Amino acid sequence: MKKLRFLTVIAVVTGLLAMHSCSEEFLEITPNGALDAQVLATYEGVDALLIGAYSMIDGLAEGAGGWESASSGWVFGSIRGMVANKGTDSGDQPDINPLQTFTETSTNPYLNTKWQATYEGVSRANGVILTAAVALENGTISQAEYDSFIAQARVLRGVYHFWVWKLFADQNTGMYIPYVDETTDVKLVTNDVDVRSMIIADLEAGTTLPLDMGQIGRFNKTVSQVFLAKAQMQMYKDWSTADALLSEVIASGVQPAGGTIGLMPTYGDIFDAAQRNAVESVYTVQYSVNDNSGAWNAGRGEVLNFPYKSGASPGGCCGFFNPTQDFVNSFNTSGGLPLIDLAAQTYSYNTVKVTNDQGIDINDPYTEFAGELDPRLDWSAGRRGIPYWDWGNHTGQDWIRDQTYSGPYSPKKQVYKLSQEGTLTEVGNWTSGYTANGYRMIRYADVLLLKAECEAMSSTGDLGFGEVNQIRARAANPSGFVMEDDGVTPAANYVINEYPTPFANTAEAMHAIKFERKLELGQEGHRYYDLQRWYGSNIATELQRIMDYESTMEWANLLYPGASIGSEDVNFPVPQRQIDVSNNVLIQNR
Amino acid sequence: MRRTKLWKSGVLSLFLLGFALSMSYAQQRTVTGTVTSADEGALPGVNIVIQGTTQGAVTGADGNYTIQVPGNDAVLVFSFIGYTTQAVPVGAQSTLDVVLSPDVTSLDEIVVTAYATQKKKDLTGAVGVIASDELTQMPQGNITQQMQGRVAGVNVTQDARPGQSAKVRIRGFASFGNNNPLYVVDGVPTTDVSTLNPQDIESMSVLKDAGAASIYGSRASNGVIVVTTKKGTSSGIQVNFNMYAGMQDPGKGPSTVVNAQEFADLQWLVYANDGISEVHPIYGDSNGSPTLPYWNGDTDWWNEVTQTAPIQNYDLSLSGGNDNSKFYASLGYFDQEGVVITNWFRRFSARFNSEFKIKDRVTLGQNLNIVHRSDRGTDSNDTENGAAMAAYTTQPVIPVYWTYDPFPGLSHTFVDGDWGSTGLAPRLGNKDNWVADQTRDADDVWQNLRVLGSVFADVKIIEGLNFRSTFGGDIGFTYLTDWAGKTYEKSENRATSTYREQGEFGGAWTWTNTLTFARQLGDHNILAVAGYEAAKTGMGRGVNATGAGYFSEAFSYRTVATAANLLGGSSWYNTPRSLVSQFVRADYNFRDRYYLSGTVRRDGSSVFGAESRYGVFPSVNAGWRISEESFMAGADFISDLKIRGGYGTMGSQINVSTSNQFFLYGGNPSRSFYDLNGTSNSSLPGFRPTRIGNADAKWETSINTNIGFDAVLLDRKFELIFDWYTKQSIDLLFQPELPGTAGRATAPDVNVGEMYNSGIDLQLIYRQIWGDFSLEANLTLTTYNNEIKAIADGYDYFDSGGSRIGALNRNLVGEAIGSFWGYEVQGLFQESDLTWDAVEEVWVPNDGVAVQDGAEPGFFRYTDLDGDGEITPDDRMVIGNPNPDFTYGLNLVLGYKGFDLTAFFYGVQGAEINNHNRWWIDFWPSFQNTKSTDLLNNSWTPSRTDATTPKASNKSNFSTNTVSNSYYIEDGSYFRLKNLQIGYTFDRAVLGNAFANARIYVQGVNLFTITNYTGQDPELRSGSDTFFGVDRGNLPVPKQFLIGVNLGF
Repeated sequence: MKKLRFLTVIAVVTGLLAMHSCSEEFLEITPNGALDAQVLATYEGVDALLIGAYSMIDGLAEGAGGWESASSGWVFGSIRGMVANKGTDSGDQPDINPLQTFTETSTNPYLNTKWQATYEGVSRANGVILTAAVALENGTISQAEYDSFIAQARVLRGVYHFWVWKLFADQNTGMYIPYVDETTDVKLVTNDVDVRSMIIADLEAGTTLPLDMGQIGRFNKTVSQVFLAKAQMQMYKDWSTADALLSEVIASGVQPAGGTIGLMPTYGDIFDAAQRNAVESVYTVQYSVNDNSGAWNAGRGEVLNFPYKSGASPGGCCGFFNPTQDFVNSFNTSGGLPLIDLAAQTYSYNTVKVTNDQGIDINDPYTEFAGELDPRLDWSAGRRGIPYWDWGNHTGQDWIRDQTYSGPYSPKKQVYKLSQEGTLTEVGNWTSGYTANGYRMIRYADVLLLKAECEAMSSTGDLGFGEVNQIRARAANPSGFVMEDDGVTPAANYVINEYPTPFANTAEAMHAIKFERKLELGQEGHRYYDLQRWYGSNIATELQRIMDYESTMEWANLLYPGASIGSEDVNFPVPQRQIDVSNNVLIQNR
Repeated sequence: MRRTKLWKSGVLSLFLLGFALSMSYAQQRTVTGTVTSADEGALPGVNIVIQGTTQGAVTGADGNYTIQVPGNDAVLVFSFIGYTTQAVPVGAQSTLDVVLSPDVTSLDEIVVTAYATQKKKDLTGAVGVIASDELTQMPQGNITQQMQGRVAGVNVTQDARPGQSAKVRIRGFASFGNNNPLYVVDGVPTTDVSTLNPQDIESMSVLKDAGAASIYGSRASNGVIVVTTKKGTSSGIQVNFNMYAGMQDPGKGPSTVVNAQEFADLQWLVYANDGISEVHPIYGDSNGSPTLPYWNGDTDWWNEVTQTAPIQNYDLSLSGGNDNSKFYASLGYFDQEGVVITNWFRRFSARFNSEFKIKDRVTLGQNLNIVHRSDRGTDSNDTENGAAMAAYTTQPVIPVYWTYDPFPGLSHTFVDGDWGSTGLAPRLGNKDNWVADQTRDADDVWQNLRVLGSVFADVKIIEGLNFRSTFGGDIGFTYLTDWAGKTYEKSENRATSTYREQGEFGGAWTWTNTLTFARQLGDHNILAVAGYEAAKTGMGRGVNATGAGYFSEAFSYRTVATAANLLGGSSWYNTPRSLVSQFVRADYNFRDRYYLSGTVRRDGSSVFGAESRYGVFPSVNAGWRISEESFMAGADFISDLKIRGGYGTMGSQINVSTSNQFFLYGGNPSRSFYDLNGTSNSSLPGFRPTRIGNADAKWETSINTNIGFDAVLLDRKFELIFDWYTKQSIDLLFQPELPGTAGRATAPDVNVGEMYNSGIDLQLIYRQIWGDFSLEANLTLTTYNNEIKAIADGYDYFDSGGSRIGALNRNLVGEAIGSFWGYEVQGLFQESDLTWDAVEEVWVPNDGVAVQDGAEPGFFRYTDLDGDGEITPDDRMVIGNPNPDFTYGLNLVLGYKGFDLTAFFYGVQGAEINNHNRWWIDFWPSFQNTKSTDLLNNSWTPSRTDATTPKASNKSNFSTNTVSNSYYIEDGSYFRLKNLQIGYTFDRAVLGNAFANARIYVQGVNLFTITNYTGQDPELRSGSDTFFGVDRGNLPVPKQFLIGVNLGF
């Protein structure tokens, strides 16, 4: 009996030891449903990482930004450029309020979100570069494949840096954003150096790519050249380098999948969701809907920017991004030309107010504005009585969330057609405003006007006269006018002509080009950056001119109280959060 | 104060003793008898003393005694450890048989502790005990909710929704992440006890300090709650039936929101204040008076979204056994409708526990619990979409139903019977008709089947040495359906119906082996346990799919397969974690007087890299029963006094991801896919870095000191249990935010944080019997002081919790966890503070007034904390603390003959609440939703300058509603009658001996609350531990009225 007890103890102890000896193996558990770096070091793996880097070109992904960081630039490009106001009501997305009154602080969450989402793109591009090197070393990709991966990753990295540069860098010193490549220690990287040359070098890498990349969503030589030209203009005011690049784009550029580029024959069709990859598109961000992404690959950045009459107007939410009166008045014409004085470089368009339905009930009579207008207005702003794509007439107050706060206009360029609902919009979500209407990040008219600007600024060619008139001629194509229901009667009194006489000098040419960009590219996210390029620290003068007028509108006393524009408003403060997180390695730009 | 009273009582006792002595006189005679107890039979060693003298006797082995008494007036006092002392007058009797009953003093209870059972009086660690009758007092479906106020040191935060788990925190917070305690159910560790049927619980022991809990090592730092379920007894078959049923009353709802007319009046006030005139699309020209539309519903939305709801519970149990086998079987059914419409919870549970003794040496047993739960609508408390928020935000003018002729609304032409909502007209806000939403989705069901159980074998190797092996497992299956019907009535409509189905399962197992040695060797009492444990938790998989577009909206047609489009599908495959542990505990005492105990555990976990995988967690405790010492002999008022103290460490690993040590890549459509081919409806797979690894992460550790005493006083009428503790938590796992330049891959947890908690736990029990009348009062008091000592290098704070105006809670070094952060409101700007600049059209501060964005008479004026003449982010400060000064529970049980009355009070003192509901209703531009009567009647106007509510204005800026400030902070202290129960136990004979016992009762729950809080309920549901105390439409606990029956056969 004693023996038995003894044996039991021995057995138990042995058992416990045996259990312990296999515990090391028992404690090795690797994650399910994930990949490690080695698995990805193949052609398919690197390409998938590259697709991941491309997927940030809309400025956002789940877990990395949202409408705050949309690359379509509705907040930072358009609202900040005063072609639109926030819209909706005053308590909605209140962080936009200080951005549109130029009173933002470094803690504004929109700034931090934009910063984080954009550097996520940089980080993904660096992941491609690192993994491609491993794949090349392992012999799983060829040198040519490696070169293509690197060139695409670098131009993406250059573009993403360029975005943050425009927002936060000092225009003269080129400092205040960190440049991050695949070798950077992000804990040590500073922002007190001029990073322009590094951004330029990355963008130049993209110009070694072939013209035809086979897929419309990739960057090719042409796309890279336009981005490089834009960066040369914005960062270095190097008009001649940009001119040469843009000349080559105009002469021989193609879409990434090899398609021709040029002007769309009619203006409105540019913004038709179905035409997103048509001839006008040099690079369109490829939105996709109903692709099992929960609308994260759709036009998520623009989802708020639809009229507010659910069921009867597109989208169904949320009444943001309403054009300003100053923007609408810009479309006044006299003899088919804008109300600006080229010789004196002054503006008189605001002397004629395009009347609107502010404060007028939808059931009360309303007389539409009868003055002469540039037809592009009614593709750029929705206003009462004018057909709104195939949704019928914009009926006024009931399409607006709160007229007393946001004025009477609605956005239009990104809106989809009624006939496209369900095919080019996400189904089964809280709104139909997730569209496949990809943002025309670079369109041909933009290229032409940049070319015109280069000519004007470097006093070459016809100072951009030909390009400006090319664009005005397209706008004047009557089959591109917004028509009443009958399909033949123009919806308003559209009168537009080309400039009759060549521009006399750089100043005159630039006055015309600046205004043409406002008319042609309004609400497309470019305006603030254009002003930044043209006016630098004098930006306040031009913005104040618009603010002074806009402040006289009925809705302005809720919208713009406390607005204060100064020379510092040429950019934004570096997000305080990033300075904090860097342990003050990063420094503030002002 | 208390000490003085005790000494006074002692002096009084001595005086009475002397008085008794002086009355004695001699007339000796002999009395004999037997002392027995119901359970044990004859009791040897019972002390018998003649009251007022030192003369006495002791019972022999057969329980017999003989004693000389002075006369008929003598009173014999029978005392024996573990039994109630009895004083019996001798009278004329010469034979006096006495039956002693087991002592009700809680110190003599058997307590289930870590891997052992002990008498409570032998404990040296801090252990709180909850008896099953205390648990089942509260008619709630979840034992976590029933623990509130029952044990000192435990804070329980309720969630008013049926079936929901409460948040249980033991002694403050030991981590920035999950601070849930570990539960050990019949020896099997688990994190979820929400499925247990309260009626099946025999006892719960709360192991609070390192001495008691650190043997659970890496899972102990949040405290451990040991749950023991009922076993059969060897005294024959028992059948018990318990039921209760009643109604729940949702209450009146928020008293502070406007009606339809008031809302229109408020709009007019806003027009006047802002200098706006327009034709309002509903109320007409602002230059006239507002006219209400003919379709004005003047809806009281609280009434619409709530209902009086039934609650019922039935339990039937059968138990029994003999010397060799015991069993307990039960069936339970709990059914609670929500006080919110369409909300319900149901639970069916079955339990079977059994135990068989084989040849005197081997015991085999099992515990099995099978539970099916189902509910609808539990995801809607404390969110913008919750029922309470519907009442706080939906405009009263909106009718629930359209009951008029067809009307061309904004979104749709409304016909009789349609839902009314924001689509009727402009400016009705964005708040859905909550009744419509819930009615559409009323068929959604979540259901869960859980099987939890264990088997064990216990082998007696030699006398006092046992080997026990327990294997426990836990498997759960969940299936849910989620319909989101298309809408027509709103300003923001959903164009297509969608339907989601989701199924998942999860599992865990634990295998525990212990050797236990327990022997009394003369004066030496030894208990030692050595063990080995292996566990694997968090196994599981899940899948879901969503379809969109339905030809028919009928319930029977809803499947993912019948949708027009397959919207998406997803699945997941959990990465489990494994744990291997060895542990030893040893408890020694000498003559029940000097105690020493120690534990040590070594844990290895799969979530850490090979270098930092193992952690060792020791503890040492000592105790001294001071009342046994001769120098205490004079202090008669002290029946028992033990002081005890301990020190040790405990660990935690639940806050670290199972993937923490790995660098990972991955891809999914929403994060990294891109439509490279320009198809518009498909995207190509792309990958991204998903996680940055940290192989160096290790255990979180809490270093714990505990000093306490247990005292039984004044003839055992009082019991006092006191503990003072400190808990220093180091190496806290925290994910420091990576710089933006690192991208958005998940940052790893690193061990950087440090936190400090200290506090006292106090429990005071008073028992008294006066003839037929008995009273038991049990007071618990819980305090904790929390301070964050470190977060991470370069971080002195992190924000938590979102709102429409950003994070409201800031966790910063030197402050308590979850502190409220923002600007301090000094008052409202008066016209004398500012001057209107007509050129710039802005208000300019006068001398001595700091520059502040948006300054305007009637708006908030903030304190210029740094005195730099400008209100900047540097002027923000801690504006409130959601942690209570103390919480307390008082349970009173009164008995008179067959009647019993129980009253349970619970209170929280000093916790502040961030009443975020005010953001919605006290500011006109916080969405076009309904507003408060304060904003209409008590807000600032040029003639009402002493107001605290700012001017009603549509301006949204820094000085109105865009930043967190002290305006929202309120005192959240409250005192609540949680439970009042009156029962009557029938005399067996009256019911013809048909029942072993029979009791009926009536009960009221949450009958009254005393508080200054202006929101609906100061008892807030609470999400995370770094974000709490914020009322964002918290659902108030309902009042309940019940009747119940307890029957035993």
